[in-house]
Amino acid sequence: MALVQQIGGRLLQLVFVLWAVATILFLMFRLMPGNPLAAYIDVTFTEEQQLALMAKFGLDRPLWEQYFIYLWNLLHGELGDSFFYRQPVFDRLMVLLPNTLILAFGSLIIAYAFGIIAGSYLAWKRGSVGEQVAIPLVLTTRAMPEFWLGMVLLAVFSFWLGWFPAGGMRSPGAEFDSVGALYTSRDFLAHLVLPIATLAIYSQGLPLLLMRSNMLDVMREDFVTMARIKGLSSFTVVVRHAARNALLPVMTSFAIGVGYQIQGNVVVETVFSWPGIGRELVNAVAASDYPLAQGAFLLIAVVFVLMNFIADMLYGLLDPRVSHA
Amino acid sequence: MPDATLSTPHRFGAIGRLIRGLHLPLNDPFAIAGIAIYTVFILVAIFADQLAPYDPTEILYTADYDLAADRRPGEDGFILGTTSLGRDIFSQLVYGSRAALLIGITAAFMVALIGTIVGLLAGYFGGWVDLVLMRLADIAFGIPFLPFVIVIAAFLDPSIWNVVLAMALVLWRDTGRVIRSQVLTLRTRAYVQAARVCGSSDLKIVFRHIAPNILPLSFLYGSIAIGWAILTEASISFLGFGDPETISWGYMLQDAFASAALSQGAYYWFVPPGLCIILVVVAGFFISRGYEEILFPRLKE
Amino acid sequence: MSEPLLSVRGLKVDYKVDAGTVAAVDDATFTVPSGAIVGLVGESGCGKTTVARALTRIIAGNARISGGEAIFDGRDILRLPEGEMNRLRWRDIAFIPQSAMNSLDPVYRVESQLREVLCQRGGLSKAAARKRSEELFEMVGIEPRRLRDFPHQFSGGMRQRVAIALALALDPKLIIADEPVTALDVIVQRQILDQLKDLQQRLGISVILVTHDISVVAYVCDRIVVMYAGRVAEEGAMRDVLTTPNHPYTMGLCNAFPDLAGAAGTLTPIEGAPPNLLHPPTGCRFAPRCPFALDTCRTTSPGLDDIGHNHPVACHRVGEAEALRAKAAQIETWAMMA
Repeated sequence: MALVQQIGGRLLQLVFVLWAVATILFLMFRLMPGNPLAAYIDVTFTEEQQLALMAKFGLDRPLWEQYFIYLWNLLHGELGDSFFYRQPVFDRLMVLLPNTLILAFGSLIIAYAFGIIAGSYLAWKRGSVGEQVAIPLVLTTRAMPEFWLGMVLLAVFSFWLGWFPAGGMRSPGAEFDSVGALYTSRDFLAHLVLPIATLAIYSQGLPLLLMRSNMLDVMREDFVTMARIKGLSSFTVVVRHAARNALLPVMTSFAIGVGYQIQGNVVVETVFSWPGIGRELVNAVAASDYPLAQGAFLLIAVVFVLMNFIADMLYGLLDPRVSHA
Repeated sequence: MPDATLSTPHRFGAIGRLIRGLHLPLNDPFAIAGIAIYTVFILVAIFADQLAPYDPTEILYTADYDLAADRRPGEDGFILGTTSLGRDIFSQLVYGSRAALLIGITAAFMVALIGTIVGLLAGYFGGWVDLVLMRLADIAFGIPFLPFVIVIAAFLDPSIWNVVLAMALVLWRDTGRVIRSQVLTLRTRAYVQAARVCGSSDLKIVFRHIAPNILPLSFLYGSIAIGWAILTEASISFLGFGDPETISWGYMLQDAFASAALSQGAYYWFVPPGLCIILVVVAGFFISRGYEEILFPRLKE
Repeated sequence: MSEPLLSVRGLKVDYKVDAGTVAAVDDATFTVPSGAIVGLVGESGCGKTTVARALTRIIAGNARISGGEAIFDGRDILRLPEGEMNRLRWRDIAFIPQSAMNSLDPVYRVESQLREVLCQRGGLSKAAARKRSEELFEMVGIEPRRLRDFPHQFSGGMRQRVAIALALALDPKLIIADEPVTALDVIVQRQILDQLKDLQQRLGISVILVTHDISVVAYVCDRIVVMYAGRVAEEGAMRDVLTTPNHPYTMGLCNAFPDLAGAAGTLTPIEGAPPNLLHPPTGCRFAPRCPFALDTCRTTSPGLDDIGHNHPVACHRVGEAEALRAKAAQIETWAMMA
């Protein structure tokens, strides 16, 4: 019962935060200096044409009315039309979302697999010379600007060695029968390597450090000592007991990591000209394509908030002390 | 003479107490390295005018009135070469430290200040104050940080202060929550209870008894925020929403990227600014690590 | 008397700390007969838990067994190769920890933690392990359906029963119980101790019961080993030692417990604190707190000599024990030390 209440409370908070973010977004885009239609309106438009346009976008109504129309539309997934592409923002974003998710999940899975193993290893090797070198090194990867790391990888592996393409998602002229064929093609995978590597190198630090410190804590727990007194194999002691317990917070951080990745991908997508939500946001903001920018922002926010929510729920699911309270 | 020695601690009492209150992590070698790196960059930023051979935005010519563009390091006396517009990279790097520290420190200060005040108010007064402030924190946690800063920076005038403002508006949340929970535990301590019973005013209790114990924690989060702020400013400048008047490391990277420095293998152009960012941010990590070992000694063992 | 199940002789365990080496256990000697409960008592820090853990050879990272022998079933377990020692763990020597909460893995059901031991160490099939688990739960008085529960779903007393069930899983010859009831309230303590005693007698196993609580020893133990500052002060049959203590420390200890002092007796604490083992005193380690200490006590340490009926005592004045007991019963004797 308590669990249901907890989930209910968290859901309510989720809805509240989403509403608040949508409202902030509305205010940000409406109260900004300048005419929101400036980019849309051609200099050749007459006064009447401009007014008609204002009416079409509902900009001639009072602000509070616009706000409710905005909320109502959001509830229906109606994000308006892009000024630049002259097509519904929602459709455009849905085409780009998979590209962003591929980057986020692909890089995080690699980063977490590596981080969990390396973190456990460093915990085991506590106090060794290797550990003394590795920790500052990992901190350094956390301190890199992601886009700079992308630039260095591009300069070395693309421009100098010529191993991988320099950007985009497919070679010019490459056509595919279906989306599925594209995502499984050699060409696509070659384009994927550098951006994924960039994000993975940047992201492995968090699970690594987290896993290491958790392992160090758990290894001191009585139940690990007891497992050894029981004469269980080292594998059982380290993996089944120590690592399984240390893994709990790391798994929840994965969901949070996806959220952060989606919002932070903006720069890496730009460096690699990767057609994802982040780059779309940057381009839309630069081109004053307000509906598109607003929609991209909102989509990123939704994924971000949802992932934080999932992280909370995941913790409850994975920890019997919470799920079997 | 005895009078002088006696009065010294009194005269420097306030400052001395503040410095001791910060509990600088001076016995952790990493923290010392961090402080040393900061010191070097602060000195470079202060003496930028003396250290930089050229104005960072000046377009340079050779003695034969040729544009001094794309010079390699050492060529024609340019330490790190020049950009494709003929600007001195080393000078830009030196002035970049000014922008980085200015942004990092002001943003960190604002984050720590807002976070500390919010945490103190929410934790000490509880009730609806706590409720409202913590719901605000929930909202701040729901805002995707980088996109928010991009939109603010793009819509308002492109200036570093807008970037700092946007960061402060979101990043106070972590500090606020942590300080709040710390205040909640402090509030139950005997000496705070005693001060209450003795009729001390809320303001006095907060500033005399609680705030001093919170200070190291604020500093920890401040030192983490410095790195975040510098990284964020670099990203914003790289995306082209930065302050065009200010030469920052992020601006240099954007310039290099847009000028095809990557395909030309102009490592001297885009590697040094990245390394500078890493050094400053890592220094912040090292200092905060030292703080964590002071605040949470269990980690040390 | 038949050969004892375990005979510990001259056991030494050191801890490396920043300030140097602490001789936490220095020359501990005692025996555990077959089918007996032996109480290992002393103040905290006297080395009793270290002795218990040393017998499993799973000790802290900075600890080292630096001497002595422990003949268990004819073999010196301190010198067995690690592989052989590991085969012996749990199958022959099991362990009941102080806090069952922390010693059960929180993320697995109790059943799975029993199965782990039964299958991996006992070589049972899954089905056999399941049957045995139910049997064990019935033995310790828990409904078998609770096997499906997680550790945090049990009460403190129940968890301790689970720990006993785990210890009994592979029919060990010896169970080492480290303060098994300390964290529980008195009523539950009694229940658990009754259970332990009952199972011990039924199954004919030996138990080393580590405790700081003399009343627990008086309640269930057959023999008692009194430790002080890393050494054994006195060892013997429980009744002998508690009714006619021969070591001044044991006399003081008996004074300090209500159950033993009885309604008429007065509670008298022993003044002072155990010595710092980083720099142990020369001579008898109890001398600084002993009201009967002579000059020899401060210079030479007494040997552990049997005074008859398998009752070794380490005291220079053991010959005057009867006179000392009379003095020790008076409160002034101990107050003088303060």
